[in-house]
Amino acid sequence: MNDSAPDKVTSRRGFFQLAFGWLAAIFAATASAAGAVRFLVPNVLFEPDQRFKAGKPDDYLDGAVTFLDDERVFIVRKGNTFRCLSAICTHLGCTVNRAGQGFHCPCHGSVFDDQGVVKSGPAPRPLDWFSVSLSKDNRLLVDKGRRVTDDKYLVI
Amino acid sequence: MNAPAPKRLWQRFTRTRVGRSIFRVGLPESNLERSQAMVSSFLLHVQPAKVHRHALRASYSLGLGLISLYLFCILCGTGVLLMFYYVPSTDKAYDIMKDLQFVVSAGLVIRNMHRWAAHLMVLFVMLHMCRVFYTGAYKNPREFNWVLGVGLLLVTLGLSFTGYLLPWDQLAFWAITVGTSIAGYAPVVGEKLKYLMLGGHIVGQDSLTRFYALHVIVLPAIAVLMISVHLFRVRKDGGLSRPDEPGDVVEQIPLGQLPANKSYGLMELARGTTPQVGKNPEDEVFSWPHLVFRELLLFLLVTAVVLFLAIFWNAPLEEIANAVHPPNPAKAPWYFLGLQELVSYSAFWGGVVVPGLLVTALALLPYIDRKRHGVGRWFARERVVANTIFSVCVAIAVIFTVIGSLFRGPNWSWVEPWKNPPAVTEGH
Ligand code: HEM
Ligand code: FES
Repeated sequence: MNDSAPDKVTSRRGFFQLAFGWLAAIFAATASAAGAVRFLVPNVLFEPDQRFKAGKPDDYLDGAVTFLDDERVFIVRKGNTFRCLSAICTHLGCTVNRAGQGFHCPCHGSVFDDQGVVKSGPAPRPLDWFSVSLSKDNRLLVDKGRRVTDDKYLVI
Repeated sequence: MNAPAPKRLWQRFTRTRVGRSIFRVGLPESNLERSQAMVSSFLLHVQPAKVHRHALRASYSLGLGLISLYLFCILCGTGVLLMFYYVPSTDKAYDIMKDLQFVVSAGLVIRNMHRWAAHLMVLFVMLHMCRVFYTGAYKNPREFNWVLGVGLLLVTLGLSFTGYLLPWDQLAFWAITVGTSIAGYAPVVGEKLKYLMLGGHIVGQDSLTRFYALHVIVLPAIAVLMISVHLFRVRKDGGLSRPDEPGDVVEQIPLGQLPANKSYGLMELARGTTPQVGKNPEDEVFSWPHLVFRELLLFLLVTAVVLFLAIFWNAPLEEIANAVHPPNPAKAPWYFLGLQELVSYSAFWGGVVVPGLLVTALALLPYIDRKRHGVGRWFARERVVANTIFSVCVAIAVIFTVIGSLFRGPNWSWVEPWKNPPAVTEGH
Protein backbone atom coordinates (compact mmCIF):
# COMPACT_ATOMS: atom_id res chain seq x y z
CA MET A 1 0.00 0.00 0.00
CA ASN A 2 1.25 3.41 -0.81
CA ASP A 3 -1.28 5.92 0.49
CA SER A 4 1.09 8.82 0.42
CA ALA A 5 1.75 8.61 -3.30
CA PRO A 6 2.74 12.14 -4.28
CA ASP A 7 0.37 12.35 -7.28
CA LYS A 8 -2.63 11.76 -4.94
CA VAL A 9 -4.45 9.44 -7.32
CA THR A 10 -7.41 7.91 -5.50
CA SER A 11 -7.53 4.18 -5.80
CA ARG A 12 -10.82 2.54 -6.68
CA ARG A 13 -11.05 1.05 -3.23
CA GLY A 14 -10.24 4.41 -1.63
CA PHE A 15 -12.94 6.06 -3.70
CA PHE A 16 -15.59 3.56 -2.65
CA GLN A 17 -14.56 3.77 0.97
CA LEU A 18 -14.81 7.54 0.89
CA ALA A 19 -18.10 7.58 -1.00
CA PHE A 20 -19.64 5.00 1.27
CA GLY A 21 -18.45 6.84 4.37
CA TRP A 22 -19.94 10.11 3.24
CA LEU A 23 -23.19 8.57 2.11
CA ALA A 24 -23.58 6.78 5.42
CA ALA A 25 -22.86 9.97 7.37
CA ILE A 26 -25.29 12.04 5.29
CA PHE A 27 -27.95 9.37 5.55
CA ALA A 28 -27.57 9.11 9.34
CA ALA A 29 -27.74 12.87 9.77
CA THR A 30 -30.77 13.29 7.52
CA ALA A 31 -32.63 10.38 9.07
CA SER A 32 -32.05 11.66 12.60
CA ALA A 33 -33.15 15.16 11.69
CA ALA A 34 -36.22 13.91 9.85
CA GLY A 35 -37.10 11.62 12.75
CA ALA A 36 -36.78 14.42 15.27
CA VAL A 37 -38.95 16.80 13.22
CA ARG A 38 -41.55 14.13 12.58
CA PHE A 39 -41.59 13.35 16.30
CA LEU A 40 -42.52 16.96 16.99
CA VAL A 41 -45.55 16.89 14.69
CA PRO A 42 -48.42 15.63 16.83
CA ASN A 43 -50.52 12.80 15.41
CA VAL A 44 -53.46 13.12 17.76
CA LEU A 45 -54.92 16.39 18.96
CA PHE A 46 -57.08 16.89 21.99
CA GLU A 47 -58.75 19.98 20.66
CA PRO A 48 -62.46 20.81 21.01
CA ASP A 49 -64.76 19.47 18.31
CA GLN A 50 -65.15 21.83 15.38
CA ARG A 51 -68.91 21.14 15.33
CA PHE A 52 -71.22 22.50 17.97
CA LYS A 53 -74.89 23.06 18.59
CA ALA A 54 -75.87 26.68 18.77
CA GLY A 55 -79.30 26.34 20.40
CA LYS A 56 -82.77 26.73 18.98
CA PRO A 57 -83.29 28.92 15.92
CA ASP A 58 -85.78 30.98 17.86
CA ASP A 59 -83.15 31.92 20.43
CA TYR A 60 -81.98 34.42 17.84
CA LEU A 61 -83.88 37.60 17.05
CA ASP A 62 -84.72 38.48 13.51
CA GLY A 63 -82.04 40.79 12.10
CA ALA A 64 -79.67 40.16 15.00
CA VAL A 65 -75.95 39.41 14.83
CA THR A 66 -75.22 37.38 17.95
CA PHE A 67 -71.73 36.68 19.27
CA LEU A 68 -71.12 33.25 20.78
CA ASP A 69 -68.27 33.68 23.24
CA ASP A 70 -66.95 30.15 23.52
CA GLU A 71 -67.00 29.51 19.81
CA ARG A 72 -65.79 32.89 18.54
CA VAL A 73 -68.49 33.11 15.87
CA PHE A 74 -71.46 35.33 15.05
CA ILE A 75 -74.86 33.84 14.26
CA VAL A 76 -76.52 36.06 11.66
CA ARG A 77 -80.29 35.78 11.35
CA LYS A 78 -82.32 37.54 8.70
CA GLY A 79 -86.00 36.56 8.49
CA ASN A 80 -85.91 32.79 8.57
CA THR A 81 -82.39 32.45 7.18
CA PHE A 82 -79.37 31.61 9.34
CA ARG A 83 -75.69 31.96 8.66
CA CYS A 84 -72.58 31.73 10.82
CA LEU A 85 -69.68 34.19 10.49
CA SER A 86 -66.24 33.58 11.98
CA ALA A 87 -65.06 36.22 14.46
CA ILE A 88 -61.41 35.30 13.90
CA CYS A 89 -59.61 38.02 12.01
CA THR A 90 -58.05 36.65 8.83
CA HIS A 91 -54.98 38.80 9.42
CA LEU A 92 -53.34 37.29 12.50
CA GLY A 93 -56.09 35.65 14.46
CA CYS A 94 -57.45 38.20 16.95
CA THR A 95 -61.20 38.27 17.72
CA VAL A 96 -63.03 41.03 15.87
CA ASN A 97 -65.55 43.25 17.65
CA ARG A 98 -68.94 44.33 16.37
CA ALA A 99 -68.75 47.98 15.33
CA GLY A 100 -71.79 49.66 13.81
CA GLN A 101 -72.96 47.44 10.96
CA GLY A 102 -69.53 45.82 10.51
CA PHE A 103 -66.59 44.53 12.51
CA HIS A 104 -63.36 45.99 13.84
CA CYS A 105 -60.21 44.09 14.76
CA PRO A 106 -58.45 45.51 17.82
CA CYS A 107 -55.02 44.14 16.96
CA HIS A 108 -54.02 45.91 13.75
CA GLY A 109 -57.15 47.79 12.87
CA SER A 110 -58.74 45.75 10.07
CA VAL A 111 -62.32 46.82 9.31
CA PHE A 112 -64.91 44.44 7.85
CA ASP A 113 -68.43 45.20 6.63
CA ASP A 114 -71.55 43.31 7.67
CA GLN A 115 -70.77 40.60 5.07
CA GLY A 116 -67.27 40.10 6.46
CA VAL A 117 -65.67 41.81 3.46
CA VAL A 118 -62.48 43.76 4.20
CA LYS A 119 -63.09 47.52 4.04
CA SER A 120 -59.63 48.57 5.21
CA GLY A 121 -56.64 47.38 7.15
CA PRO A 122 -54.17 44.54 6.66
CA ALA A 123 -56.57 41.56 6.61
CA PRO A 124 -55.91 39.70 3.35
CA ARG A 125 -59.34 38.08 2.88
CA PRO A 126 -62.92 38.29 4.15
CA LEU A 127 -64.02 36.66 7.39
CA ASP A 128 -64.97 33.01 6.94
CA TRP A 129 -68.55 31.74 6.79
CA PHE A 130 -69.21 28.35 8.31
CA SER A 131 -71.78 25.76 7.34
CA VAL A 132 -75.03 25.81 9.37
CA SER A 133 -77.55 22.99 9.37
CA LEU A 134 -80.37 21.77 11.55
CA SER A 135 -79.88 18.84 13.88
CA LYS A 136 -82.51 16.14 14.44
CA ASP A 137 -83.59 17.77 17.66
CA ASN A 138 -84.10 21.10 15.87
CA ARG A 139 -80.97 22.90 16.98
CA LEU A 140 -78.64 24.93 14.81
CA LEU A 141 -75.59 22.83 14.01
CA VAL A 142 -72.45 24.75 13.06
CA ASP A 143 -69.37 23.10 11.58
CA LYS A 144 -66.31 25.35 11.88
CA GLY A 145 -64.36 22.82 9.89
CA ARG A 146 -66.49 23.50 6.80
CA ARG A 147 -66.19 26.88 5.17
CA VAL A 148 -68.96 27.97 2.82
CA THR A 149 -69.55 30.96 0.55
CA ASP A 150 -71.53 33.89 1.93
CA ASP A 151 -74.63 32.97 -0.11
CA LYS A 152 -75.25 29.66 1.68
CA TYR A 153 -78.15 29.95 4.12
CA LEU A 154 -79.98 27.63 6.37
CA VAL A 155 -83.64 28.36 5.68
CA ILE A 156 -86.20 27.37 8.26
CA MET B 1 2.91 48.06 54.58
CA ASN B 2 -0.02 46.68 56.48
CA ALA B 3 -2.53 45.00 54.16
CA PRO B 4 -6.21 45.10 55.16
CA ALA B 5 -7.45 42.15 57.19
CA PRO B 6 -9.48 40.29 54.54
CA LYS B 7 -6.53 40.45 52.18
CA ARG B 8 -4.15 39.12 54.84
CA LEU B 9 -6.56 36.33 55.69
CA TRP B 10 -6.92 35.37 52.07
CA GLN B 11 -3.19 35.33 51.58
CA ARG B 12 -2.74 33.16 54.61
CA PHE B 13 -5.42 30.78 53.36
CA THR B 14 -3.91 30.40 49.89
CA ARG B 15 -0.59 29.49 51.50
CA THR B 16 -2.06 26.56 53.37
CA ARG B 17 -1.99 23.10 51.85
CA VAL B 18 -5.73 23.16 51.10
CA GLY B 19 -5.73 26.72 49.80
CA ARG B 20 -2.82 26.01 47.52
CA SER B 21 -4.48 22.84 46.20
CA ILE B 22 -7.50 24.88 45.15
CA PHE B 23 -6.05 28.16 43.97
CA ARG B 24 -2.40 27.43 43.07
CA VAL B 25 -1.58 31.13 43.07
CA GLY B 26 -2.53 33.45 45.89
CA LEU B 27 -3.17 37.12 45.40
CA PRO B 28 -0.54 37.91 42.80
CA GLU B 29 2.27 40.23 43.87
CA SER B 30 4.63 40.09 40.91
CA ASN B 31 4.09 40.17 37.16
CA LEU B 32 4.98 36.51 37.02
CA GLU B 33 2.29 35.69 39.56
CA ARG B 34 -0.17 37.89 37.68
CA SER B 35 0.33 35.78 34.59
CA GLN B 36 0.19 32.58 36.62
CA ALA B 37 -3.08 33.68 38.21
CA MET B 38 -4.59 34.21 34.78
CA VAL B 39 -3.53 30.87 33.30
CA SER B 40 -4.14 28.68 36.34
CA SER B 41 -7.70 29.73 37.10
CA PHE B 42 -10.55 28.18 35.14
CA LEU B 43 -12.61 31.35 34.99
CA LEU B 44 -9.67 33.56 34.15
CA HIS B 45 -7.80 31.39 31.68
CA VAL B 46 -10.29 32.08 28.92
CA GLN B 47 -8.73 35.51 28.86
CA PRO B 48 -5.20 36.38 27.85
CA ALA B 49 -2.59 37.15 30.50
CA LYS B 50 -1.98 40.53 28.92
CA VAL B 51 -4.34 42.80 27.02
CA HIS B 52 -3.85 45.69 24.66
CA ARG B 53 -4.44 49.10 26.21
CA HIS B 54 -6.91 49.93 23.48
CA ALA B 55 -9.16 47.06 24.53
CA LEU B 56 -9.47 48.49 28.02
CA ARG B 57 -10.68 51.87 26.86
CA ALA B 58 -14.26 52.09 28.06
CA SER B 59 -14.97 54.73 25.43
CA TYR B 60 -14.22 52.20 22.70
CA SER B 61 -16.37 49.14 23.45
CA LEU B 62 -18.60 50.85 26.03
CA GLY B 63 -18.61 47.40 27.61
CA LEU B 64 -21.83 46.63 25.78
CA GLY B 65 -21.00 43.02 24.94
CA LEU B 66 -19.94 42.36 28.51
CA ILE B 67 -23.12 43.94 29.82
CA SER B 68 -25.14 41.62 27.54
CA LEU B 69 -23.17 38.68 28.91
CA TYR B 70 -23.78 39.69 32.53
CA LEU B 71 -27.47 40.18 31.89
CA PHE B 72 -27.57 36.70 30.41
CA CYS B 73 -25.95 35.34 33.58
CA ILE B 74 -28.47 37.15 35.76
CA LEU B 75 -31.26 35.74 33.61
CA CYS B 76 -29.94 32.20 34.03
CA GLY B 77 -29.69 32.61 37.81
CA THR B 78 -33.11 34.15 38.36
CA GLY B 79 -34.64 31.88 35.71
CA VAL B 80 -33.52 28.73 37.49
CA LEU B 81 -35.00 30.08 40.73
CA LEU B 82 -38.32 30.76 39.01
CA MET B 83 -38.33 27.19 37.69
CA PHE B 84 -38.61 25.89 41.24
CA TYR B 85 -42.17 27.23 41.38
CA TYR B 86 -43.34 27.56 37.81
CA VAL B 87 -45.45 24.84 36.18
CA PRO B 88 -46.16 25.10 32.45
CA SER B 89 -49.86 24.38 32.77
CA THR B 90 -52.60 26.57 31.37
CA ASP B 91 -54.57 25.99 34.57
CA LYS B 92 -51.82 26.85 37.00
CA ALA B 93 -49.29 29.14 35.36
CA TYR B 94 -51.14 32.40 35.99
CA ASP B 95 -51.91 31.59 39.63
CA ILE B 96 -48.27 30.75 40.18
CA MET B 97 -47.28 34.17 38.85
CA LYS B 98 -49.63 35.69 41.40
CA ASP B 99 -48.08 33.52 44.11
CA LEU B 100 -44.64 34.70 43.11
CA GLN B 101 -45.86 38.26 43.40
CA PHE B 102 -47.68 38.01 46.69
CA VAL B 103 -46.77 34.85 48.57
CA VAL B 104 -43.27 33.60 47.86
CA SER B 105 -40.50 35.35 49.81
CA ALA B 106 -38.49 37.53 47.42
CA GLY B 107 -40.59 36.08 44.58
CA LEU B 108 -41.62 39.51 43.43
CA VAL B 109 -38.08 40.82 43.24
CA ILE B 110 -36.76 37.73 41.49
CA ARG B 111 -39.52 37.79 38.93
CA ASN B 112 -38.96 41.52 38.41
CA MET B 113 -35.23 40.99 37.99
CA HIS B 114 -35.83 38.30 35.42
CA ARG B 115 -38.19 40.50 33.45
CA TRP B 116 -36.13 43.69 33.57
CA ALA B 117 -32.90 41.88 32.81
CA ALA B 118 -34.62 40.37 29.76
CA HIS B 119 -35.71 43.78 28.49
CA LEU B 120 -32.26 45.20 29.14
CA MET B 121 -30.56 42.28 27.42
CA VAL B 122 -32.52 42.87 24.21
CA LEU B 123 -31.62 46.57 24.43
CA PHE B 124 -27.94 46.00 25.13
CA VAL B 125 -27.47 43.32 22.50
CA MET B 126 -28.88 45.81 19.98
CA LEU B 127 -26.63 48.59 21.26
CA HIS B 128 -23.64 46.23 21.18
CA MET B 129 -24.41 45.47 17.55
CA CYS B 130 -24.53 49.20 16.77
CA ARG B 131 -21.17 49.70 18.52
CA VAL B 132 -19.61 46.90 16.49
CA PHE B 133 -20.99 48.43 13.33
CA TYR B 134 -19.93 52.01 13.97
CA THR B 135 -16.40 50.92 14.85
CA GLY B 136 -16.12 48.71 11.76
CA ALA B 137 -15.23 45.83 14.06
CA TYR B 138 -16.90 43.20 11.86
CA LYS B 139 -14.20 43.36 9.19
CA ASN B 140 -11.54 40.77 8.49
CA PRO B 141 -10.76 38.65 10.49
CA ARG B 142 -13.93 39.14 12.55
CA GLU B 143 -16.52 38.47 9.83
CA PHE B 144 -17.69 35.20 11.26
CA ASN B 145 -17.95 36.56 14.77
CA TRP B 146 -20.38 39.15 13.45
CA VAL B 147 -22.44 36.37 11.87
CA LEU B 148 -22.44 34.54 15.20
CA GLY B 149 -23.58 37.83 16.72
CA VAL B 150 -26.54 38.05 14.34
CA GLY B 151 -27.45 34.53 15.47
CA LEU B 152 -27.18 35.62 19.08
CA LEU B 153 -29.48 38.57 18.42
CA LEU B 154 -32.08 36.17 17.03
CA VAL B 155 -31.65 33.78 19.95
CA THR B 156 -32.05 36.68 22.38
CA LEU B 157 -35.29 37.72 20.69
CA GLY B 158 -36.43 34.09 20.65
CA LEU B 159 -35.80 33.79 24.38
CA SER B 160 -37.88 36.90 25.05
CA PHE B 161 -40.68 35.74 22.80
CA THR B 162 -40.92 32.28 24.33
CA GLY B 163 -40.52 33.76 27.81
CA TYR B 164 -43.49 36.01 27.76
CA LEU B 165 -45.93 33.26 26.89
CA LEU B 166 -45.18 31.56 30.18
CA PRO B 167 -47.23 33.78 32.60
CA TRP B 168 -50.32 32.88 30.57
CA ASP B 169 -51.74 36.37 30.82
CA GLN B 170 -53.47 38.37 28.12
CA LEU B 171 -50.21 39.68 26.64
CA ALA B 172 -48.85 36.15 26.57
CA PHE B 173 -51.83 34.62 24.89
CA TRP B 174 -52.36 37.21 22.18
CA ALA B 175 -48.70 37.78 21.48
CA ILE B 176 -48.36 34.07 20.74
CA THR B 177 -51.55 34.02 18.69
CA VAL B 178 -50.26 36.88 16.56
CA GLY B 179 -46.64 35.71 16.50
CA THR B 180 -47.36 32.18 15.34
CA SER B 181 -49.86 33.51 12.78
CA ILE B 182 -47.04 35.60 11.33
CA ALA B 183 -44.99 32.42 10.98
CA GLY B 184 -48.00 31.01 9.13
CA TYR B 185 -47.45 33.54 6.34
CA ALA B 186 -43.98 32.18 5.53
CA PRO B 187 -43.95 30.82 1.98
CA VAL B 188 -44.48 27.07 1.46
CA VAL B 189 -43.77 25.87 5.00
CA GLY B 190 -45.80 28.58 6.80
CA GLU B 191 -48.86 26.60 7.86
CA LYS B 192 -46.78 23.55 8.80
CA LEU B 193 -44.42 25.70 10.82
CA LYS B 194 -47.30 27.26 12.72
CA TYR B 195 -48.76 23.82 13.44
CA LEU B 196 -45.36 22.65 14.67
CA MET B 197 -44.89 25.70 16.92
CA LEU B 198 -48.33 25.45 18.49
CA GLY B 199 -48.42 21.66 18.61
CA GLY B 200 -51.90 21.90 17.10
CA HIS B 201 -54.24 24.48 15.62
CA ILE B 202 -54.95 26.57 18.68
CA VAL B 203 -52.90 28.28 21.35
CA GLY B 204 -53.35 25.89 24.26
CA GLN B 205 -51.60 23.51 26.61
CA ASP B 206 -49.50 21.96 23.85
CA SER B 207 -48.23 25.37 22.80
CA LEU B 208 -47.34 26.28 26.37
CA THR B 209 -45.44 23.01 26.82
CA ARG B 210 -43.48 23.63 23.65
CA PHE B 211 -42.62 27.22 24.42
CA TYR B 212 -41.58 26.20 27.92
CA ALA B 213 -39.14 23.57 26.62
CA LEU B 214 -37.73 26.09 24.16
CA HIS B 215 -37.43 28.78 26.81
CA VAL B 216 -35.81 26.86 29.64
CA ILE B 217 -33.51 24.48 27.81
CA VAL B 218 -33.29 24.60 24.02
CA LEU B 219 -32.66 28.30 23.50
CA PRO B 220 -30.50 28.84 26.62
CA ALA B 221 -28.33 25.88 25.62
CA ILE B 222 -27.92 27.30 22.11
CA ALA B 223 -27.16 30.71 23.61
CA VAL B 224 -24.50 29.34 25.97
CA LEU B 225 -22.82 27.49 23.11
CA MET B 226 -22.90 30.46 20.79
CA ILE B 227 -21.74 32.93 23.44
CA SER B 228 -18.82 30.63 24.26
CA VAL B 229 -17.75 30.46 20.65
CA HIS B 230 -18.33 34.22 20.30
CA LEU B 231 -16.00 35.01 23.20
CA PHE B 232 -13.47 32.41 22.09
CA ARG B 233 -13.41 34.07 18.70
CA VAL B 234 -12.95 37.54 20.17
CA ARG B 235 -9.70 36.25 21.64
CA LYS B 236 -8.60 34.15 18.66
CA ASP B 237 -9.29 36.99 16.25
CA GLY B 238 -6.65 38.97 18.11
CA GLY B 239 -8.58 40.53 20.97
CA LEU B 240 -10.81 43.54 20.53
CA SER B 241 -10.50 45.29 17.21
CA ARG B 242 -8.25 48.33 17.12
CA PRO B 243 -6.79 50.60 14.46
CA ASP B 244 -4.07 48.97 12.39
CA GLU B 245 -0.55 49.78 13.48
CA PRO B 246 2.51 49.36 11.26
CA GLY B 247 3.64 46.24 13.14
CA ASP B 248 0.22 44.61 12.83
CA VAL B 249 0.38 43.56 9.25
CA VAL B 250 2.55 40.50 9.55
CA GLU B 251 3.56 38.41 6.62
CA GLN B 252 3.01 34.75 7.26
CA ILE B 253 5.58 32.44 5.78
CA PRO B 254 4.11 29.27 4.25
CA LEU B 255 5.14 26.16 6.13
CA GLY B 256 7.34 24.72 3.39
CA GLN B 257 9.43 27.88 3.14
CA LEU B 258 10.37 28.31 6.77
CA PRO B 259 14.13 28.72 7.18
CA ALA B 260 15.55 25.39 8.27
CA ASN B 261 18.23 26.70 10.61
CA LYS B 262 15.83 27.26 13.47
CA SER B 263 13.48 25.11 15.54
CA TYR B 264 9.81 25.99 15.77
CA GLY B 265 7.23 25.67 18.52
CA LEU B 266 3.78 24.24 17.84
CA MET B 267 2.15 27.65 18.38
CA GLU B 268 4.31 29.16 15.69
CA LEU B 269 3.48 26.48 13.19
CA ALA B 270 -0.23 26.66 13.94
CA ARG B 271 -0.40 30.45 13.78
CA GLY B 272 2.17 31.02 11.06
CA THR B 273 4.11 33.40 13.30
CA THR B 274 5.39 33.30 16.83
CA PRO B 275 2.83 34.46 19.37
CA GLN B 276 4.88 37.59 19.96
CA VAL B 277 4.99 38.83 16.37
CA GLY B 278 2.93 41.96 15.88
CA LYS B 279 2.76 42.67 19.57
CA ASN B 280 4.43 45.59 21.18
CA PRO B 281 5.02 44.94 24.88
CA GLU B 282 4.71 48.66 25.49
CA ASP B 283 1.06 48.53 24.38
CA GLU B 284 0.05 45.75 26.68
CA VAL B 285 -0.80 45.60 30.33
CA PHE B 286 -1.43 42.69 32.64
CA SER B 287 -5.00 41.44 32.65
CA TRP B 288 -4.73 41.08 36.38
CA PRO B 289 -5.69 43.56 37.71
CA HIS B 290 -6.45 45.92 34.82
CA LEU B 291 -9.00 43.82 32.91
CA VAL B 292 -10.26 41.62 35.73
CA PHE B 293 -10.95 44.55 38.00
CA ARG B 294 -12.91 46.41 35.35
CA GLU B 295 -14.95 43.34 34.53
CA LEU B 296 -15.81 42.78 38.15
CA LEU B 297 -16.79 46.40 38.59
CA LEU B 298 -19.03 46.31 35.55
CA PHE B 299 -20.66 43.11 36.76
CA LEU B 300 -21.45 44.71 40.11
CA LEU B 301 -22.82 47.78 38.38
CA VAL B 302 -25.10 45.75 36.08
CA THR B 303 -26.38 43.65 38.98
CA ALA B 304 -26.99 46.76 41.04
CA VAL B 305 -28.97 48.43 38.27
CA VAL B 306 -31.13 45.34 37.68
CA LEU B 307 -31.74 44.99 41.41
CA PHE B 308 -32.62 48.67 41.68
CA LEU B 309 -35.14 48.42 38.84
CA ALA B 310 -36.59 45.23 40.32
CA ILE B 311 -37.08 46.77 43.73
CA PHE B 312 -38.79 49.92 42.55
CA TRP B 313 -40.74 48.78 39.50
CA ASN B 314 -42.92 45.72 39.17
CA ALA B 315 -42.92 43.60 36.04
CA PRO B 316 -46.28 43.82 34.30
CA LEU B 317 -48.77 40.99 34.59
CA GLU B 318 -51.94 41.50 32.64
CA GLU B 319 -55.24 39.80 33.28
CA ILE B 320 -55.43 36.05 32.96
CA ALA B 321 -55.44 34.82 29.37
CA ASN B 322 -58.85 35.13 27.76
CA ALA B 323 -58.97 33.09 24.59
CA VAL B 324 -61.96 35.05 23.30
CA HIS B 325 -61.16 38.72 23.75
CA PRO B 326 -57.81 40.29 23.01
CA PRO B 327 -57.05 43.44 24.98
CA ASN B 328 -57.66 46.55 22.94
CA PRO B 329 -55.12 47.57 21.75
CA ALA B 330 -53.17 44.31 22.00
CA LYS B 331 -49.55 45.41 22.11
CA ALA B 332 -46.35 43.38 22.02
CA PRO B 333 -43.37 44.40 24.20
CA TRP B 334 -41.46 47.44 22.94
CA TYR B 335 -38.87 45.54 20.93
CA PHE B 336 -41.55 43.95 18.77
CA LEU B 337 -43.71 47.05 18.36
CA GLY B 338 -41.81 48.16 15.26
CA LEU B 339 -42.59 44.75 13.79
CA GLN B 340 -46.21 45.00 14.91
CA GLU B 341 -46.47 48.39 13.18
CA LEU B 342 -45.03 46.84 9.99
CA VAL B 343 -47.42 43.92 10.24
CA SER B 344 -50.34 46.31 10.51
CA TYR B 345 -49.71 47.22 6.87
CA SER B 346 -49.25 43.68 5.63
CA ALA B 347 -48.57 40.44 7.45
CA PHE B 348 -46.61 38.93 4.58
CA TRP B 349 -44.50 41.95 3.65
CA GLY B 350 -44.11 43.36 7.12
CA GLY B 351 -43.89 40.10 9.03
CA VAL B 352 -41.95 37.84 6.67
CA VAL B 353 -40.28 39.68 3.78
CA VAL B 354 -38.89 42.79 5.52
CA PRO B 355 -37.52 40.98 8.63
CA GLY B 356 -36.19 38.17 6.44
CA LEU B 357 -34.32 40.60 4.18
CA LEU B 358 -33.00 42.57 7.15
CA VAL B 359 -31.56 39.50 8.85
CA THR B 360 -30.05 38.26 5.58
CA ALA B 361 -28.47 41.66 4.92
CA LEU B 362 -27.06 41.78 8.45
CA ALA B 363 -25.59 38.30 8.18
CA LEU B 364 -24.00 39.00 4.78
CA LEU B 365 -22.76 42.47 5.71
CA PRO B 366 -19.12 41.59 6.52
CA TYR B 367 -18.81 39.72 3.23
CA ILE B 368 -20.24 42.64 1.26
CA ASP B 369 -18.38 45.49 2.95
CA ARG B 370 -14.86 44.13 2.73
CA LYS B 371 -12.60 47.16 2.50
CA ARG B 372 -10.19 47.11 5.40
CA HIS B 373 -10.28 50.68 6.47
CA GLY B 374 -11.68 52.59 9.37
CA VAL B 375 -11.50 49.61 11.74
CA GLY B 376 -11.17 50.33 15.43
CA ARG B 377 -12.43 53.91 15.47
CA TRP B 378 -15.90 55.26 16.07
CA PHE B 379 -17.56 56.86 13.01
CA ALA B 380 -14.41 56.69 10.87
CA ARG B 381 -14.53 59.18 7.96
CA GLU B 382 -13.68 56.44 5.48
CA ARG B 383 -16.84 54.59 6.45
CA VAL B 384 -19.23 57.45 6.02
CA VAL B 385 -21.35 55.68 3.38
CA ALA B 386 -21.77 52.48 5.38
CA ASN B 387 -22.43 54.42 8.57
CA THR B 388 -25.06 56.58 6.88
CA ILE B 389 -26.93 53.61 5.44
CA PHE B 390 -26.86 51.83 8.80
CA SER B 391 -27.99 54.95 10.66
CA VAL B 392 -30.92 55.42 8.30
CA CYS B 393 -32.01 51.81 8.93
CA VAL B 394 -31.66 52.27 12.69
CA ALA B 395 -33.62 55.53 12.53
CA ILE B 396 -36.44 53.87 10.58
CA ALA B 397 -36.56 51.02 13.09
CA VAL B 398 -36.72 53.51 15.96
CA ILE B 399 -39.45 55.55 14.25
CA PHE B 400 -41.60 52.46 13.66
CA THR B 401 -41.08 51.38 17.26
CA VAL B 402 -42.05 54.81 18.59
CA ILE B 403 -45.15 54.91 16.38
CA GLY B 404 -46.16 51.44 17.51
CA SER B 405 -45.53 52.25 21.16
CA LEU B 406 -46.98 55.72 21.53
CA PHE B 407 -49.07 56.64 18.53
CA ARG B 408 -51.33 53.60 18.34
CA GLY B 409 -54.48 53.32 20.41
CA PRO B 410 -57.60 51.16 20.41
CA ASN B 411 -58.07 49.25 17.16
CA TRP B 412 -54.51 50.25 16.28
CA SER B 413 -55.86 53.65 15.26
CA TRP B 414 -53.62 56.70 15.17
CA VAL B 415 -53.59 58.55 18.50
CA GLU B 416 -51.53 61.42 19.74
CA PRO B 417 -49.99 60.45 23.06
CA TRP B 418 -50.40 63.93 24.51
CA LYS B 419 -54.17 63.71 24.08
CA ASN B 420 -56.50 61.41 26.00
CA PRO B 421 -57.09 58.22 24.03
CA PRO B 422 -60.59 57.81 22.62
CA ALA B 423 -62.84 55.65 24.76
CA VAL B 424 -63.41 52.11 23.52
CA THR B 425 -67.09 51.63 22.92
CA GLU B 426 -67.09 48.43 20.95
CA GLY B 427 -67.61 45.02 22.36
CA HIS B 428 -69.98 42.20 22.00
C1 HEM C 1 -26.08 37.38 23.53
C2 HEM C 1 -25.59 38.38 22.89
C3 HEM C 1 -24.11 38.80 22.84
C4 HEM C 1 -23.14 38.69 23.81
C5 HEM C 1 -23.28 38.12 25.22
C6 HEM C 1 -21.93 39.25 23.24
C7 HEM C 1 -20.72 39.36 23.93
C8 HEM C 1 -19.59 39.99 23.43
C9 HEM C 1 -18.45 40.38 24.21
C10 HEM C 1 -18.31 40.21 25.73
C11 HEM C 1 -17.54 40.96 23.36
C12 HEM C 1 -16.23 41.61 23.77
C13 HEM C 1 -16.25 43.10 23.47
C14 HEM C 1 -17.35 43.93 24.06
O1 HEM C 1 -17.67 43.77 25.26
O2 HEM C 1 -17.91 44.75 23.30
C15 HEM C 1 -18.10 40.89 22.02
C16 HEM C 1 -17.48 41.32 20.85
C17 HEM C 1 -18.04 41.25 19.57
N1 HEM C 1 -19.38 41.01 19.27
FE1 HEM C 1 -20.72 40.32 20.60
N2 HEM C 1 -22.17 39.65 21.94
C18 HEM C 1 -23.50 39.41 21.67
C19 HEM C 1 -24.15 39.71 20.48
C20 HEM C 1 -23.54 40.23 19.34
C21 HEM C 1 -24.24 40.73 18.18
C22 HEM C 1 -25.76 40.85 18.05
C23 HEM C 1 -23.27 41.10 17.27
C24 HEM C 1 -23.44 41.65 15.87
C25 HEM C 1 -24.37 41.31 15.03
C26 HEM C 1 -21.97 40.82 17.86
C27 HEM C 1 -20.74 40.99 17.22
C28 HEM C 1 -19.53 41.08 17.89
C29 HEM C 1 -18.25 41.33 17.27
C30 HEM C 1 -17.96 41.44 15.74
C31 HEM C 1 -17.31 41.45 18.32
C32 HEM C 1 -15.82 41.78 18.19
C33 HEM C 1 -15.75 43.26 18.39
C34 HEM C 1 -14.36 43.81 18.38
O3 HEM C 1 -13.41 43.03 18.26
O4 HEM C 1 -14.25 45.03 18.52
N3 HEM C 1 -22.16 40.32 19.13
N4 HEM C 1 -19.37 40.29 22.09
S1 FES D 1 -55.28 40.33 13.72
FE1 FES D 1 -56.91 41.52 13.00
S2 FES D 1 -55.94 43.18 12.13
FE2 FES D 1 -54.28 41.95 12.75
